[in-house]
Amino acid sequence: MFSISVNEKGIIILTGRLDASQVDRAREVFSGLDASAVVDFQSLDYISSAGLGVLLATQQRLKKGGKALKLVHMNRMVRDVFKIARFDLIFEIE
Amino acid sequence: MMRQQFDRDIRSLDAVFSFLRRFADEERLDARASYVLDLAVEEFFTNIVKYGRGTSNEVFLEAVRSGGTVTVRLEEQTPVPFDVTRATQTQFDVPFAERKPGGLGIHIAREMLDGLTYDYVDGTSRITLTKHLET
Repeated sequence: MFSISVNEKGIIILTGRLDASQVDRAREVFSGLDASAVVDFQSLDYISSAGLGVLLATQQRLKKGGKALKLVHMNRMVRDVFKIARFDLIFEIE
Repeated sequence: MMRQQFDRDIRSLDAVFSFLRRFADEERLDARASYVLDLAVEEFFTNIVKYGRGTSNEVFLEAVRSGGTVTVRLEEQTPVPFDVTRATQTQFDVPFAERKPGGLGIHIAREMLDGLTYDYVDGTSRITLTKHLET
């Protein structure tokens, strides 16, 4: 299961497994984003290239307006995926 | 050895992951190996769904452990071979604004796996993934 929500502080919370069959739900939220935002990965167990594609497209769109996503609280495996994809050079990861 | 047939459909992914989870549980795979197999199989399965040239609607998955090595095979009937090991490499040397996600999944899978082979025999296409387990 995958879920995406925005808390009262505007932080985007990802939960569960973001795979190719769930990516449209993530795209719905990220495509409506027009300001810098923090994305909390603490409860995200799994991500594949489908999820990375949504994040890449969002970051590219936001950067054109001088804004960006900041990604926080990744688990070790998810962080490894970001490094292999060289997304650690594209996103601020904390 | 475990083997199961899946419809060539993105909606089969849940069943694919269930199959891999059962295999991981039976073989007591560690979390890292399990993640790598999930990711690699997802990337190649979705590739087959997107670009499938197969003549039937089935994709077979087979998983086996031999000592410290796990092998997972994706198999389909197709008249057109497509060697995923020769797929276009992700371009990392382009400016950020021009980066595209194409090829990224196969790149990540290759980096995390210990082996990736492709063979095509008598109309059957086989992608074989291997992962050595940490001791």
